Amino acid sequence: MSQARTTASGAGSEGLLLDDLTALCREALSAAESFSEAAKAALAASVAPEGKPDAALLEREQFAAHGYAWFATYVAALREMLNWADRLESEGRFGELEALMLQAAFGEYLNQLYGGIALSQVEILRPVDLGLSEAETYAFLTPAVKKLCASGHTAAVRARIGDFLHDGHFGAPGLDETEAMIADEFRKFADAHSEAAHEWHLKDDLIPLEVVQQLADLGVFGLTVSEAYGGTGMGKTAMCVVTEELSRGYIGLGSLGTRSEIAAELITLGGTQAQKDHWLPRIASGEILPTAVFTEPNTGSDLGSLRTRAQKDGEVYRFTGNKTWITHAARTDVMTLLARTNPDEPGYRGLSMFLAEKPRGTDAEPFPAEGMSGGEIEVLGYRGMKEYEIAFDGFEVPAANLLGEVEGEGFKQLMATFESARIQTAARAVGVAQNAMELGLSYARERKQFGKAILEFPRVSGKLTWMAVETMVARQLTLAAAREKDSGRRCDIEAGMAKLLAARVAWANADNALQIHGGNGYALEYKISRVLCDARILNIFEGAAEIQAQVITRGLMKPGRN
Amino acid sequence: MKVLVAVKRVIDAYVKVRVKSDGSGVETANVKMSMNPFCEIAVEEAVRLKEQGIASEVVVVSCGPQVNQETIRTALAMGADRGILVQSDEELQPLGIAKLLKSVVEKEQPDLVLLGKQAVDNDFNQTGQMLSALLGWSQGTFASKIEQQDGKLRVTREIDGGLETLDLATPTIVTADLRLNEPRYASLPNIMKAKKKPIETIEAEELGLDIAPRLKVLNVSEPPARQAGVRVESIADLVDKLKNEAKVI
Repeated sequence: MSQARTTASGAGSEGLLLDDLTALCREALSAAESFSEAAKAALAASVAPEGKPDAALLEREQFAAHGYAWFATYVAALREMLNWADRLESEGRFGELEALMLQAAFGEYLNQLYGGIALSQVEILRPVDLGLSEAETYAFLTPAVKKLCASGHTAAVRARIGDFLHDGHFGAPGLDETEAMIADEFRKFADAHSEAAHEWHLKDDLIPLEVVQQLADLGVFGLTVSEAYGGTGMGKTAMCVVTEELSRGYIGLGSLGTRSEIAAELITLGGTQAQKDHWLPRIASGEILPTAVFTEPNTGSDLGSLRTRAQKDGEVYRFTGNKTWITHAARTDVMTLLARTNPDEPGYRGLSMFLAEKPRGTDAEPFPAEGMSGGEIEVLGYRGMKEYEIAFDGFEVPAANLLGEVEGEGFKQLMATFESARIQTAARAVGVAQNAMELGLSYARERKQFGKAILEFPRVSGKLTWMAVETMVARQLTLAAAREKDSGRRCDIEAGMAKLLAARVAWANADNALQIHGGNGYALEYKISRVLCDARILNIFEGAAEIQAQVITRGLMKPGRN
Repeated sequence: MKVLVAVKRVIDAYVKVRVKSDGSGVETANVKMSMNPFCEIAVEEAVRLKEQGIASEVVVVSCGPQVNQETIRTALAMGADRGILVQSDEELQPLGIAKLLKSVVEKEQPDLVLLGKQAVDNDFNQTGQMLSALLGWSQGTFASKIEQQDGKLRVTREIDGGLETLDLATPTIVTADLRLNEPRYASLPNIMKAKKKPIETIEAEELGLDIAPRLKVLNVSEPPARQAGVRVESIADLVDKLKNEAKVI
């Protein structure tokens, strides 16, 4: 173990840190991987008797199937924590706090793999649910696993991590020099806007355009757009760093770039040269703000069945149908609009993607375009851009604005952006999770009861400690998915896992940080009341937790995939 | 006009500083470090002078270990043109740093040297003044405003009684106070550009200067913990406590 130590008050880690921690975790990880393989085999026996998963059986065994996704997500999360530790150790940055976080994460997640994972507060997945036998479950309890289960995440470990939190240390995220500089700049930016952001939420205001412009000037909208089109050409890892820091200030700040990111990726991957030349520089500069128009009243997760019709009529397509949950719909300039061009093809093959321009709306007239109307959907949180439902009745889009100028590619084009969108959403969740934890911490430091700061009570500091640890777990899983994406490898499963876990962590942190606030947390004036509302959406949008689990399991069960 | 800006790497202003158990100093291992906030203001001012067409080149210098490159890189991302690291792993104090800066000034021949008025770690508030003395240049410390006026620099200084305005002939030294400006956030494109900007390294040892510490730290201790307050029953009670306990009236 490295001798480098982060400073903190308190008694130190004497006797708390297990000997040869990283080696011990490596052994335990290997046991967890075997356990996960056994779970996969047990699940396969019930859902894929012929070798290939059967759709009807997958549905019948949905709890086990989705539970396996969580199981595998936990194992992947531990793997990434260990990779993080190895990287820090090689750079001499693996301090006492980081070691304690690694140990606590292993201790807790290994215990949950053995004893039960909360898919939600009302669904606990146990090994027996996956069809694992008693012998297979006991085989998981190798000496390394037992040691970490018994001594990895104890009250004393939490107390020691609490000392660090008290001093404002949350653990080294393991960023390189450039990423760290980016994080610093965006952290300052987000901090400078966090008070105002709470007001935007309370008044249900749109994020002011001057703030949108500041983000544009900082290069947020062109972050991943190629330099040839006026962007910065950075990778998804940098996008995660920016997104996390902005979301830590306010989810709306971290989400303004989401639609630009989706639109730019759609055009980069599927657009014609002329479409790239026209749209990408404008998106990158923030001159035009895009919105994503996919969901319909009866079509959420089952996108393939959507019904909005785009009918070709000479040089234009004419749109009829209803869309809903369109974020930032009124104030944006272009819609990435998914509609059915081929009514004879009821599935996803009949869908096409359009770059549909529209005039920017105002409060008085949100949808000034001919053939298009809409109204606001009032929501609990995730405000700042507002949500809308939209109706098209003869709305026209030039035929040249069909993405790639090929019909029937829409679903495929959209699918190609799902990895990035999920990684970006995972990063938003990590930012919200961190924000919730920090709000809880700062309240617990200030609030005095029974003659002392409530942070001194173990059940308060212990909550915060686990929040900090699990936020780090979600962060490492998210960054790992981003690095996979940047290296050009397929990462749909990794991206789904990151989103699945980070969204649960964000909600858990928000809920528990509010608990620490007591009655005050329920008052609108305290930011945690907003963060609770903001956090709730993360488990729903960009692939609901259940869909995410389904996608992960289907991916992992594919023959030839390990 | 060529501007040289000196920047210092310090413990991040938002981190709780812990005193080493032996009282020899504060813990710095694995602690988040950042550019001294007053140095950031100095960099911002230099970049603004360049944007106004007053400065032609902004060079950033930092004295200390190799890792100070990160601080220089931050200044480059804010808009400075190139960097110089005067590398030394020894403890550096204001006089030593002023001597090192003097040799950089002689090499670079800037018209203006901008520094933060002090660093938030040791609060010396000496380096700019010592550099001025060593070079025999004029100085405008605690600047809250810098303008170009008839070929001179008009510097508004924050002093105890109010504001003082000086016209300084170049070359000159100016140290930045808090209200001089509000530093910008480095944009993503500028962070990427900064990676390609050159940083030259000069070994402090090779300059042959006596930069040995003149000051000896005897002891570093935490400030006393604040005592809990009490609620007084009456004004008479308050006056009594102010007189007899606090002994302030």
